[in-house]
Amino acid sequence: MENILKMALSKVEEAEIYREDFQNTTVSFQSNRLKAIDNSFGQGIGLRVIKNKKKGFSSITNLADLKFLVKSAIESSRFGEIALFKFPTSSKISKVKCFDPAILSISVEKMVEEGERAIRAILEEFPYLQCEAQIDKTILKISILNSSGLSFSYKKSFYSFSIYAFLAREGDFLGVGEEEASCQYQDWSDLIAQRVVEKARLAQKNAAIETGTYPVIFTSKAMPVIFASLKKGINGKLIQKKVSPLFPKLKKQVTSPLVSIVDDATFPYGKASSPVDGEGIPSRRNPIIENGILKNFIYDLQTAGLMKTQTTANAAREYDTLPSPSTTNFIVAPGNFSMEEMIKDIKEGLIVDQVIGAGQSNTLMGEFSVNLDLGFKIEKGKIKGRVKDVMATGNIYELLNNIRGIGEKTQFVGSTLTPPFYFSKINIAS
Amino acid sequence: MRTHLLSCLNKIKADYAEIRYEERVVTYIHWTGKELESIGTSKEKGGGIRVKGKAGWSFLSFNNLDDLPSYLHLTTKQSLLSKGIPVKLASVPIVSRIVPGSARKDPRQIDLEEKYRLTSLYNQILLSGPEIQTSDLRYVDVYIVKYFANSEGTYIKQERFYTLLGMASIARRGGNIQSAHEGVGGTGGYELVENQEEKAEKAVKRASQLLDAEPAKGGRYTVVVDPELSGVFAHEAFGHLSEADFLFENERLLDIMKLGRRFGSEILNIVDEPPIPGEGGFYLYDDEGVAAGKTYLIREGKLVGRLHSRETAAKMGEEPTGNARAISYEYPPIVRMSNTYIEKGEKSKEEMISEVKEGIYARGFRGGQTNLEMFTFAPEEGYIIKDGKLTRRIRDFNLTGNIFTTLSQIDAVGNDLVLFTGPGGCGKNDQSPLPVSTGGPHIRIRELVVGGR
Repeated sequence: MENILKMALSKVEEAEIYREDFQNTTVSFQSNRLKAIDNSFGQGIGLRVIKNKKKGFSSITNLADLKFLVKSAIESSRFGEIALFKFPTSSKISKVKCFDPAILSISVEKMVEEGERAIRAILEEFPYLQCEAQIDKTILKISILNSSGLSFSYKKSFYSFSIYAFLAREGDFLGVGEEEASCQYQDWSDLIAQRVVEKARLAQKNAAIETGTYPVIFTSKAMPVIFASLKKGINGKLIQKKVSPLFPKLKKQVTSPLVSIVDDATFPYGKASSPVDGEGIPSRRNPIIENGILKNFIYDLQTAGLMKTQTTANAAREYDTLPSPSTTNFIVAPGNFSMEEMIKDIKEGLIVDQVIGAGQSNTLMGEFSVNLDLGFKIEKGKIKGRVKDVMATGNIYELLNNIRGIGEKTQFVGSTLTPPFYFSKINIAS
Repeated sequence: MRTHLLSCLNKIKADYAEIRYEERVVTYIHWTGKELESIGTSKEKGGGIRVKGKAGWSFLSFNNLDDLPSYLHLTTKQSLLSKGIPVKLASVPIVSRIVPGSARKDPRQIDLEEKYRLTSLYNQILLSGPEIQTSDLRYVDVYIVKYFANSEGTYIKQERFYTLLGMASIARRGGNIQSAHEGVGGTGGYELVENQEEKAEKAVKRASQLLDAEPAKGGRYTVVVDPELSGVFAHEAFGHLSEADFLFENERLLDIMKLGRRFGSEILNIVDEPPIPGEGGFYLYDDEGVAAGKTYLIREGKLVGRLHSRETAAKMGEEPTGNARAISYEYPPIVRMSNTYIEKGEKSKEEMISEVKEGIYARGFRGGQTNLEMFTFAPEEGYIIKDGKLTRRIRDFNLTGNIFTTLSQIDAVGNDLVLFTGPGGCGKNDQSPLPVSTGGPHIRIRELVVGGR
């Protein structure tokens, strides 16, 4: 890597190399049986340069293409924007828990065994379900080297387990998906099987719902539908372009005071945990919303430069992309309601667990309109059965200002750690 | 390359193995508002080995050719771990072919300066309106060479060009933010993205007009959808359920999806057809080296076919269709669509609308999704139809249906078939985006559930 840096620096003022090396193994089950084992052994190198104050970039996957890399990055800098930052110098970087040697050593046979056990547990309860499962382990090494003197590399591990249990009945299909992922090894098989069985049990009966407005509970699994727009809303890029409804609202009330969220790449073993961001800035814990008050937007170096502020260490990237602001571990504070209490509180309403069509509305404004892939009807404080062929429509900012309660238990869904939320109303079309 | 790949395959002790190798050079330009987010050219090289054991598969992707012997060994070993029902492959002809790419203007011969100039011109148009706040323009051209060789002796080299342009204009009035999108391109060269000023102007105009639209009210409506939406409808509402890997090991689903089952009225025909030059999903051979043809999924309202890999075709005793595709060397091929469309019918758009007393005309496309039974397809905007005429403009609504009932609610098929590539693509399992085209004529659907306020 030093060589590439040297090669580049003979022609440009500043340069940065971002390298990824990864190994991944996925064990896949189809129709309840082990079907495939997939591996990937990959590497990629991205080169960012600053020449005549302007940014340039290129990437390759093969060291034989180094000349192409340097030439293309320089060519790109002819048209690039003025760099409004300097690459970071070497600073004190604290350790963040994101690598677990247990993941490195787990065998394919053990992964197969975990998958088999989970599927067996599901089939014992519901022999007519057909399960697809994926157990995946990844070891990633990231290295960042720049002309300001930073030279840092770290390892990251992932272990994830997902199951999709499917049933095709004439006029009535059912699919229940559950997933866990972490940088730390854990055998998720029992937990996931149990969650699939619980949902499949609730979906045994169907229930009807009329077009109208109803109180609604979003499970942890469904909350990313709501947070996807909020994550866009606090993104420095959209703030800079003034197309986030939150841009004039820093330090103001934007949600119910019940809501508190931090973005925290230092969270131990979170899916998005890392000691530094994609530009080598030490990771940190950024409050986003505190008791409903908007505390921070998220930035990378260039976007922060445009906004004349500091980076929040939120530069996300892969070897073949330039850094761009993105949330890391999005940690949502729990409330004090149990699921049972929330359900009991509802005379007529819904639970939303899985949706289709998310992210396809006007997400900038927080609009969503989704089909309830897996949703349940509540009548008189009890779950009555599954609702189908209905659309749920709303605005996430309105919902987050009309919260009746927040669940006491949190669950990681991807890199979002969130409890279930109980909102006072949502529009249903059936 | 041929000798190298075939000699590697010779070292594998398995009843079937294949190697793919790819090189791609990608040039990209991304404008957001006045800022050029990124511009440049990158190169990617890599390969994938797939080995079949008795009852399953093992796949391995790599960037570094030096370790190939150890990769071959690992893949062969892991292919033996699956047990149970044997995996068989439909037999297909052994092919030896080189398929050159086709581009009137090879994007590699056009310098970055010209691409910068053209996109910056379009971007200026996208930003030129009184209430326009920002833009989002993505240009990409890709040159790919794909090599495929299998242990049966097939060797195929395919070259392909993709050139794509996506343009969005974003308008704001106070807290009201609206965007409109236009996309062009497909397989082919730089000619596909030239002279698109008019499209950029359209995006600007619609984004501004959407500021005045009213949120739609949810409920059941008769909906006339434009060709962009009817294409997504074909893709989501029926295309995915036609992918045989969902079906082939599921007895219950096979029972439900028996050939001959009626899904719609006689005016409905849905097709998947890879070899349409210029379309996003164009190819002659799939990623298992199988020649692709035209497959009717629905003919005169009845289920008549599905999309296959060699494995699903063998298991179901049907003909392979050449629909096994991988988004890149990093993934094994799985059953995918290519260019999926509804065939044209007889009615004009005007007739269809004039016959509706109360309903919605929906146009433009923001996305779609299916769970194999229910599906969504999201329009960019719409109009309320009253007594056969378009009245006020509406926004922020989504359309949903159920494959087993909605297809039969199509009561009119238009005479104006159009196919669309546009940037973006299809996602399945972890593999996204895959280049596809979708299309159709205007269609009218009775009693469709519309999500809105």
